[in-house]
Amino acid sequence: MDIQDEIHDQLSRRTFLGQTSAGLGTIALASLLNPKHLFAGSSAPGETPGLGKPHFAPKVKRVIYLFQSGAPSQLELFDYKPRLESMWGKDLPESVRKGQRLTGMTAGQSHFPLAASRYKFAQYGPSRMWISELLPYTSRIVNDLTFIRSMHTEAINHDPAVTFFQTGSQQAGRPSFGSWISYGLGSDNQNLPAFVVLLSKGRDGDQPLYAKLWSNGFLPSIHQGVVFRSGPDPVYYLNNPPGIDKASRRRMLDYLAKMHQEQYKHVLDPEINNRMAQYEMAYRMQTSVPETLDISKEPDYIFDMYGPESRKPGTFAANCLLARKLIEKDVKFVQLYHQGWDQHGNLPNDIKIQTKSVDQPSAALILDLKQRGLLDDTLVIWGGEFGRTNYSQGKLTKDNYGRDHHPRCFTVWMAGAGIKKGMVYGETDEFGYNIAKDPVHVHDFQATVLHLLGMDHEKLTFKHQGRRYRLTDVHGKVVKPLLS
Amino acid sequence: MNSLSILLQVNTSPSDWVLFFGHFHPLIVHLPIGFLIVAGILEAGRRMGKISVSDSAVTSVLFWSAVSATVACLFGYFLSLGGGYEQETLDSHMWQGIGVAVFAWIAWAVKSDYIGDRIPFGSALYLPALVVAIVLLGTAGHLGGSLTHGSDYLTQYTPEPFRTLAGIPPRQQEVAIKPITDVNQALVYEQIVNPILKTRCVQCHNAEKSKGDLRFDTAEMLKKGGENGPVFIAGKGTESELVKRCLLPEEDDHHMPPKGKTQLTEGQIALLTWWIDQGAPFDKKVSDLKVNDAIAPVLASLSSGAPVGSGSRVASSGPAPVSPVLTMKLPAPDPKAVEELKQTGLLVLPLSKEQHQLEVSAVNAKTFSDAQAALLPKLSQQIVWLKLGETAVTDATLAQVAKLKNLQKLHLEQTKVTDAGLKQLKGLPNLEYLNLYGTAITDAGLKELAELKSLKTVYLWQTNVTETALAELKKSLPNVEFVGGISEQAVAEFTKAGATEAQPDDPKKN
Repeated sequence: MDIQDEIHDQLSRRTFLGQTSAGLGTIALASLLNPKHLFAGSSAPGETPGLGKPHFAPKVKRVIYLFQSGAPSQLELFDYKPRLESMWGKDLPESVRKGQRLTGMTAGQSHFPLAASRYKFAQYGPSRMWISELLPYTSRIVNDLTFIRSMHTEAINHDPAVTFFQTGSQQAGRPSFGSWISYGLGSDNQNLPAFVVLLSKGRDGDQPLYAKLWSNGFLPSIHQGVVFRSGPDPVYYLNNPPGIDKASRRRMLDYLAKMHQEQYKHVLDPEINNRMAQYEMAYRMQTSVPETLDISKEPDYIFDMYGPESRKPGTFAANCLLARKLIEKDVKFVQLYHQGWDQHGNLPNDIKIQTKSVDQPSAALILDLKQRGLLDDTLVIWGGEFGRTNYSQGKLTKDNYGRDHHPRCFTVWMAGAGIKKGMVYGETDEFGYNIAKDPVHVHDFQATVLHLLGMDHEKLTFKHQGRRYRLTDVHGKVVKPLLS
Repeated sequence: MNSLSILLQVNTSPSDWVLFFGHFHPLIVHLPIGFLIVAGILEAGRRMGKISVSDSAVTSVLFWSAVSATVACLFGYFLSLGGGYEQETLDSHMWQGIGVAVFAWIAWAVKSDYIGDRIPFGSALYLPALVVAIVLLGTAGHLGGSLTHGSDYLTQYTPEPFRTLAGIPPRQQEVAIKPITDVNQALVYEQIVNPILKTRCVQCHNAEKSKGDLRFDTAEMLKKGGENGPVFIAGKGTESELVKRCLLPEEDDHHMPPKGKTQLTEGQIALLTWWIDQGAPFDKKVSDLKVNDAIAPVLASLSSGAPVGSGSRVASSGPAPVSPVLTMKLPAPDPKAVEELKQTGLLVLPLSKEQHQLEVSAVNAKTFSDAQAALLPKLSQQIVWLKLGETAVTDATLAQVAKLKNLQKLHLEQTKVTDAGLKQLKGLPNLEYLNLYGTAITDAGLKELAELKSLKTVYLWQTNVTETALAELKKSLPNVEFVGGISEQAVAEFTKAGATEAQPDDPKKN
């Protein structure tokens, strides 16, 4: 059908619904009295749309997701493989690879020389977890961490892989993890959005991130992630423009609300309610955001704990500190993205610089949440979108190599409420190429996090275009051995 | 027949097709039951002159009785190849079932227009054949029921006085478990492991019905294992079949107990694992074995009166016992009281859709103060989590909080509460989480906590509590975690950790 016709059809249908009295009028009336019957996920004016209540008592009330975009190499950080040392430089045996697909970047290589980590490993804690010397701070808090060494995903390139982790689908357009949580649980703090996004950059020239990763998809737009930027203007267009004072902004919003209500009576579009709720939220955020993000009262030793970069706005360390502040205010889902892990070449040097700015703040965040009593019902997740290959991309020398994308196994850690502390779950084979025990798929991981939040991933659904959608699509199993 | 079944068992396990049809036996078997009884009723009614039915109608019903009985026999035989049934009962059931089919054929044959005339004494045979078929139907059916449900299933609940009249021994209590008064003195197998097996496994693994050739009804049989070998490897809990089967996803064919049956709780699985880890002893007490941190809370939960076998499955339960206040049934909160609390700016949320337990949070009401706290006891049963951190409350509020008997988590961080206020919290038997960071609490106030029996975690960062008092209290409350947080010196030490890292070459500039 011609797009013009389509628009025309919609317009006429809408006009029809809005203006016909008699038969359809009663439907309209019924839907006004209880609009939930007509529009899935809509709500009466003034009420935040969404479900608002967990399915069962939650262990976790809030989540911080320290997303390591670009895919950190598990082989340099968490997954110790002595076999790669003894077979250094030898070709990856076909019996291990079994013809599994590679990216276009290394598929053409005639050799796949196995590369051992240039960095040493040691065991820590009762779980005897192997941790690299690149993560001296993480190794100190290993008792609070739960490692999943057997994560696997379906995508092999960054964009689909990040999208898969964040929305449960490799194609764009589905609601983000945080949006589902906002939709399922609502917001505790009425002055801040339930889903906040913080961005930071490691090395330049890394993979880009897009707003679709924190989009509400087809969920009501109030559930979209709100990016808090560094600097004096954390949320774009939030402050009053020059010449507009608070009182006149209030008057403007009040009148706008009246007009919206009129409009809602005519067209019954649930998005109008969302729009109204968002205007009001933005108004309240004019005060709450600067208040929440104010770090001037933090004592020096807290900055020291998060590391030297924590005083520099926009760094991973500074964002970790902000994440804690948002969690203190009961924001449901704080999504950090840290770029710079895509080390196809020059990995030994680059990963060292990268870990230096990530290791300390990550560990400090756990300790800081713990001493404030927040780790008792907050879950912190640390991990990337996939892993990296056990063979070198490009030339392998004693002190330089690179690693390509590897979706078949990688490591993610979690800390906090509802999971067993100091546990290592899953194993990879001795080459670190395939999973040997207890694989955890991305959908399993998502199901588990939702479970901890008190939600059944099979029941958290939204009807759109004639069918019910879930974060976990039609897959996913809660990884029960992880639960405490 | 015995020899035949042995022959077939030697022929390894039956094919999927055989078992597929075999599983239709319980379905098909009801057809001859219905048909034969209908034939009997028709015949009896006709002979008494109550109804008029033609010969051909009765013959037709008999024909289908015979056909369905034959198919049922065949499928029943297939089902028996799956194994797991008591041989003697199985044999009788089979022969009686075959008898039903044979006599149904005879009854049909003598009645049939085509062959009836050729059978000598045909008409004399008819009635006895029909009666025998129906009688056998009854006995074979009963044996079939016994095979599936156990021989005492039918009469299990016979009430008195019929019970004594029929000579059935008095009913045993479900499972007579010696209640555990002191868990350390409990016999691990007899009082902990066996009750779990009895309530969850023995139904299908007993003397009469031993699925997988496995029996859990006695210790000897448990040690013996089943057709796949031993069920446990002493010392290796998680590698033991007994535990592995329980941990498989419920959809897995090998998962035990089978999908749809009552599942083991995570606590029960943890207990079984622990018992096997400890060498699976059959005569040891808990105190004879090594109790680690993970199993201690599970064991502790056993002595609270509930026998091990009767633990309820809680959605989010794990090895750590879930506080009873989170699982107990509570009356719905008074909507007026909820509304009043909301008016003060407090957030009042049910813990979940199915619970009346409430979480009350002052996240949006930092001005919440003592004057409004009097509203809290109106929901004294329902409030289990209370977050009053960073509000204007003082000790006066704690007098109201002390009335919230089911309180499990209490946030008082960054408030003006003092030692005097803590004294009032003594009467909170369920309190597990207490956040006091950033308050003026001192050693004196801390001592008041010694009476909070359920306490698990106390947050004391940035308070006036001293290390010595803390060390003292830790002795009397070994199960409580006191989180002190990080002092400036500790941070200095923490940041030193980074300096100890190995220093590879400086990154080359690209």
